[in-house]
Amino acid sequence: MELQARKLFDRSLTGVSIMAILLMSLSLLVLLGPIFSRGAGAFVFRATNEFRRLNLEQFNRGDAQAIAEETRAVSEARKPVYEMLSAFEAELADMDASRRRELRPQLKEIKNLLRELLGSLPGEIEAVMLRQQYGQTRWDRARYKLGQILFREQWDYSDKRSMGKKVLTPRRQDFAGTRLEPLFTYLERNLKQLLRPRLTFYWRFLTDRSLDSHFFGGIWPEILGTFYLTLGAMLLAIPFGIIAAIYLSEFASSGRVTSLLRVCISTLAGVPSIVFGLFGLAFFINTLHLSRSKSVLAGSATLALLILPTIIRASEEALKAVPHTYKEAALSLGASPLRMVLTVLLPAALPGILTGIIISMGRAAGETAPIIFTAAVSVGQPLKLWETLSQPTPALPWNIYNLATEHQAVDEIRHVQFGMVLTLVLLVLLLNLAAILIRARVSKKMRG
Amino acid sequence: MSDAASRLRRLAAFFSKGLLFLATALSLVAVLLIILYIARDAIPFFKLRGLKELFASASWFPSGHPPEFGALAIFIGSGLVTLGAIVVAVPLGVAAAIALSDILPYRLRQAVKPVIEILAALPSVAYGFFALVIFAPLLQNRGGSLLALAAWLIALPLGLLLIFVITEIVTRRVREDVAQAARLILAATLVVILVRGLLALSSLLGRVAISSGTNALNVSIILGIMALPTIVSVAEDSLQAAGRELREGSYALGATRAETLFKVVIPAAGSGIIAAVILGVMRAIGETMVVWMASGNAAQIPSPWFNFLSPVRTLTATIAGDMGEADQVLGSERYHVLFALALCLLLTSFIANLASEWILRRQQRRLGGLK
Amino acid sequence: MKIASIFLTLALLAGGFGFAADANKIVVDGSTTVGPIAKAFAEFYMKQNPGVNITVSESGSGNGAKSLVNKSCQVASMSRLLKLNEYEAAVHSEILPVAHVVALDGIAMIVHPGNPVSKLTMAQVKDIYLGKIKNWNQIGGPNTAIVIISRDTNSGTYETFEGKVMKGEKIAKNCEYVGSNGAIRQRVQSTPAALGYVGIGFLDNTVKALPIDGVNPTPETVKNGSYPIARPLYMVTDDYPKMGSHLYRYINLYLTVKGQAIIEEIGFIPVTSY
Repeated sequence: MELQARKLFDRSLTGVSIMAILLMSLSLLVLLGPIFSRGAGAFVFRATNEFRRLNLEQFNRGDAQAIAEETRAVSEARKPVYEMLSAFEAELADMDASRRRELRPQLKEIKNLLRELLGSLPGEIEAVMLRQQYGQTRWDRARYKLGQILFREQWDYSDKRSMGKKVLTPRRQDFAGTRLEPLFTYLERNLKQLLRPRLTFYWRFLTDRSLDSHFFGGIWPEILGTFYLTLGAMLLAIPFGIIAAIYLSEFASSGRVTSLLRVCISTLAGVPSIVFGLFGLAFFINTLHLSRSKSVLAGSATLALLILPTIIRASEEALKAVPHTYKEAALSLGASPLRMVLTVLLPAALPGILTGIIISMGRAAGETAPIIFTAAVSVGQPLKLWETLSQPTPALPWNIYNLATEHQAVDEIRHVQFGMVLTLVLLVLLLNLAAILIRARVSKKMRG
Repeated sequence: MSDAASRLRRLAAFFSKGLLFLATALSLVAVLLIILYIARDAIPFFKLRGLKELFASASWFPSGHPPEFGALAIFIGSGLVTLGAIVVAVPLGVAAAIALSDILPYRLRQAVKPVIEILAALPSVAYGFFALVIFAPLLQNRGGSLLALAAWLIALPLGLLLIFVITEIVTRRVREDVAQAARLILAATLVVILVRGLLALSSLLGRVAISSGTNALNVSIILGIMALPTIVSVAEDSLQAAGRELREGSYALGATRAETLFKVVIPAAGSGIIAAVILGVMRAIGETMVVWMASGNAAQIPSPWFNFLSPVRTLTATIAGDMGEADQVLGSERYHVLFALALCLLLTSFIANLASEWILRRQQRRLGGLK
Repeated sequence: MKIASIFLTLALLAGGFGFAADANKIVVDGSTTVGPIAKAFAEFYMKQNPGVNITVSESGSGNGAKSLVNKSCQVASMSRLLKLNEYEAAVHSEILPVAHVVALDGIAMIVHPGNPVSKLTMAQVKDIYLGKIKNWNQIGGPNTAIVIISRDTNSGTYETFEGKVMKGEKIAKNCEYVGSNGAIRQRVQSTPAALGYVGIGFLDNTVKALPIDGVNPTPETVKNGSYPIARPLYMVTDDYPKMGSHLYRYINLYLTVKGQAIIEEIGFIPVTSY
């Protein structure tokens, strides 16, 4: 081929491969971007008076006096709204039947939306569920609800060739001439006074329990559950993993049995996670009866099996990377092989082993399939340590799935879902960062 | 040392070695137990319903009256999303591995490695959440435009490259002073044709209405991104293992970097790349959360079979969705069929694992000899 | 030796604690329809009795029944009654299932609000899910293929739908399956061409519930029996719970004023009258 064509081929290969790297980085950005930005919204947002009132009454947090004052001011601002409502209801009784038929369902809708926005209407029996007792705790959701109050969603089905198109008509037009008409402009102009939003850093999202199926509160039980599961998995897997690595790298003969063992380890590494879950249910719970129902113990055992191969592999590599001069020096001084391992080899390989352990922790924290039927529930108290042997727990990965698909009001709690995903991703990333740092220090030591 | 003392010492050494062996054997025991439990509860299904129905029939109605357990559609579904994941991940992965091993300078390589590690470390439920909450609505509402955009991104650079090559080849015989002008005219015409062709294609694609954002395409792309880190790292390791001497010998003979890569390095590291692909396949086949949340779970064979825009059902999602049935008390065909599917998954991953190990070890031996 | 004895003591302690705490833990498993009620009751009860831990899983009515028979849960929340073979298995394991009707529910057929179709008949619903009606334009809508969505097979909602609408016939193969009521509503509200079914507690203004044979799915029509696809919601226990125990008080929340207010606030129908 001609020289120019060959050079062109070379340049285009360079271009294609760099494009691949760019695409990979772009996909990471596309993945993490929404998770980080919307997840941050679970922590940092403009919180309304309802949020502070909730914190005070349910969690006993906040300056009671300041909040009481604020609530008084807010109630003052809300009085006109309720007055307009009751005036309109009186007016409604005197209207002619057709207008009444038209407006009554709309009034019901508006009242429901107002309840969701501002909390129970005065004069009504106090609702039992928390989500009905309090209005919107977040300013962004409040504005969304305001939009729903101000505009009526209608669908224009006139085009027979496609699905209807959404048409927003201002409700003011429907209520023109009635006592309710000024309500809409009032709400629009004074929403800030009605809710008093203030930028808040709700870091306690991580330490609060969830209230009313995650409508309010935080994700502490899930975080604690993930912590227990990961800790349990590590406690079960680390001893066996390190011992196995020591055996394979130092004491094993290179015979049939050893290669069989190695094949088993790599097979275990390749088993799909759902098969682990199936096995965990069938073996640990239904056969061994480690616990009567799901439990952290059974879940940890299943996760331990999952991460065992990773720990063995990482430890073996770390052990092999130790310069054999270390080993020979110890042996030449008269130490038995076992003693040499314990006093020289393991300490030298420790950073590498630690790296493997930390990465496995990240894996155990993030896996869902093994814990679906062995340990995870949607709602439960944060467990005390001794309860983990027999009780199940909510956990971050499972509850992300649960909140994103099964929940009764998926759209209302989007910020909680993103907050959970962000927490899990940050947890895993921090663990990996720690592992990378350790590895960098080790390679510097080994090189320098 | 006295006789007793040395005997004691030897006994202690033997004991400790024995204990170490036992601890290691735990993994052997675990694998055997897993295979045993899965197989034990899978075999009754085959005894009751035989082999043919599971693999040959596509009617999956486990709760019907009478129930039907034709899992062909599910096998095809798993295969389809894996194929899609490979189509996405292998070209990208191999190209990225080439970049990392041969093209990028050291500093950039160290900067890119964390990207790969992060992609590998992200939990699968996070990928599944993204696929369901962000990607599926995107595909559904703007699917057509996304496809058109993808077509432009892929076809435009390749097309321009092709045009350049064509103009070079065609004007080779022409006299030098006219050649430049001839090349320009030819290039201009071809570019116009390319652009018009792309515009037509993109408007055609833009009109494609994706009725359901949870389909095989969604899952394939996400699975491809998940399999990418595996393929990149294993392929890169293989390319590195080919060694500097091999490359330098090729450069010394006057080859360009691209020629060295394609004619020397990749053939030498070829089996390693195949192993990387197999490992990527294993990752894609065994993934549960992403497919459970975003594949639509429809037990049908898409018509035509390569229609990625239709929802499919995979083995892992079927097991996860019906897993509560794994209860011996109400043991029935529905319970046993899940274990039968799990057994198929297990066997597939077992074979793929062995294959990739064998290939990698063979490559190590071959390349080790060259050193 | 020392280590072993310490470990043994710890294990006994742990076991002892676990055993002692048994009366204070209630495991609820089962239907995603009854899920919101079970969860709301659990939170309500745990708030009043802080020492009790009530865990709720929502893996489907079938799984709830299995867990009850397997003795791994105390309460199986189900949106259907146990099947005959489940009763058999229960008897075999010496479990006496007692079904408490905690609420009434109707299964509403939902479509995207942008869908012009405004009513359906039972026959049409059946034909759509059979695959005989494939396009919305066959029933008055635009020319778009219908995306049918159904619940996975361990769901009580699915069983009710299958029994009352499909009457045992098989659903078409291109039907998408999701795992919960919430998931169906999510799919329908984001897919203009979709058709699905949910319990009426899951209705909101992001989806449109269609009248079936002229009857709208509302609490009134469910209670008086005019809505064709209605059913009770159950919580099943092993034998009647011991009176005064936490389990007894939790189960009977549906009889209290506050419990019924919760059920109404969630959107289901408390059983207060006919």
